[in-house]
Amino acid sequence: MQINPGTCTGCGLCLPYCPVGAIHLVGLEEAKPPRAPRRKACIDLEACTECGTCGRQYIVRCPTNSIQEDLDILDGPRSIRKYFSDPTTTHKLTRVPGRGTEEVKTNDVTGRFPRGKVGLAIEVGRPILATSFRDVEKITMALAGVGVSFEENNPLTHLMEDRQRGTFPAPAKAARVNSAIIEFTVPEAELEDVLQVIAVVSREIETVFSLDLVTSFARDGSLPLLTTLEKLGVCYRPNAKINLGLGRPPAQG
Amino acid sequence: MTHSLHRHGSRESLRNDFVFLATPAAGINHEGSKEKLIRILDLIYQLGPANIGSYETGTILAGATIEEIKARLAEVPRVRTAFSSREKVKELIRQVKEEDLGLSITVSGLIEEVLAMAQELSIQPHSVNLSLGVHGRTADLPSEEILEFVTMCGHGMISARLVQDTIDRVKKGNLTPEQAARRIASPCVCGIFNPDRARELFQKYVPLHRHVPALAPEGPAARDLGSGALS
Repeated sequence: MQINPGTCTGCGLCLPYCPVGAIHLVGLEEAKPPRAPRRKACIDLEACTECGTCGRQYIVRCPTNSIQEDLDILDGPRSIRKYFSDPTTTHKLTRVPGRGTEEVKTNDVTGRFPRGKVGLAIEVGRPILATSFRDVEKITMALAGVGVSFEENNPLTHLMEDRQRGTFPAPAKAARVNSAIIEFTVPEAELEDVLQVIAVVSREIETVFSLDLVTSFARDGSLPLLTTLEKLGVCYRPNAKINLGLGRPPAQG
Repeated sequence: MTHSLHRHGSRESLRNDFVFLATPAAGINHEGSKEKLIRILDLIYQLGPANIGSYETGTILAGATIEEIKARLAEVPRVRTAFSSREKVKELIRQVKEEDLGLSITVSGLIEEVLAMAQELSIQPHSVNLSLGVHGRTADLPSEEILEFVTMCGHGMISARLVQDTIDRVKKGNLTPEQAARRIASPCVCGIFNPDRARELFQKYVPLHRHVPALAPEGPAARDLGSGALS
């Protein structure tokens, strides 16, 4: 994002809207006409994740419409930030809006998470702290080390330079994003080991992550995995996202 | 993985907070799904949701109309909406089931509430996405009260600073809790932010009477705060 210094009046209206605090007011040192603003808003491009919030005129209502997006944002060097921060973008390969996948949303049709397997997602940077891809790589390398295979339909997987090692190219590692979602599926029998790896690496990162687990209901309507989670001492929130099974054609299995 | 999963808050605060998503599966049943989603949007709108959104238009709270949302549905379209009433979301599920449109439906909310609704409607749920909490450098997070607001936008578009700034404005009497809720809802582009719940949270956390000094160390306003985190 860019703020036009020629039209910004330094009113500060945009500042609180930035989710990562990347907009600042800077004082103007140089000589200027008597009625010109004494300060202007400026975006710290290292901190900016290109989420687009400040540039949406219906949100911030900048009185001089001074905040604009780079014209090449979807193809240029900052496109990684854009795809992983602005939910209005749709990844070219996955055709899925946002930075994730359809996950449990369409599991009744896709059958991505059949009985006997669990889906895990590590939403790095959520809630609210954002993340660098260096932290994302710490986690993906730890998971790759125990043989995790990353979800093909997730844009993050397509960014990797080596999926076996879980590494990213230098341009990706320079990016800072609102969140990046590491997704994979494991057999239930391997869940405990993978959760151990996640617990260890959680102490090595400089941000937070929200952890998701997808599992299917048994034919009798129960959730057998809850017993497993209790045995492992893993807590889950009282609120969840439930697929009602109304999709057609139904997934096999 | 999912922006509607990790909402923070007490059971009571979450009890009437539901996110309803209708999603065609890309490459499986997305072709021809636009008309079905438009039908679902009509059903939603007739019931009176708390919010509806679209990546293409923004939300009804930010000024988009239901006609604009319908007209600009994407190639692989989705419907996202928030409800503040168990009865309304249950009636919506009933109608969608009855019309048998074949699109995947997910409902986020208290597990006990969603499962009870499914049982009352003779629906056997297929699968669930559970939230196993937040890990890592959690000491860097804002207060739990702020998180209750910002996690209603799982995409992370609502800043903690905007919430704090809005709380300050309500304390000064410059915004009502309802106006405050609409203000912080505006950056959520997808429509799952629940302004009714936000209004209730403002009422809970912010002293309401402008003639009572909001930051006074003693007196009714200070006692109502409940937590120093928002002062």
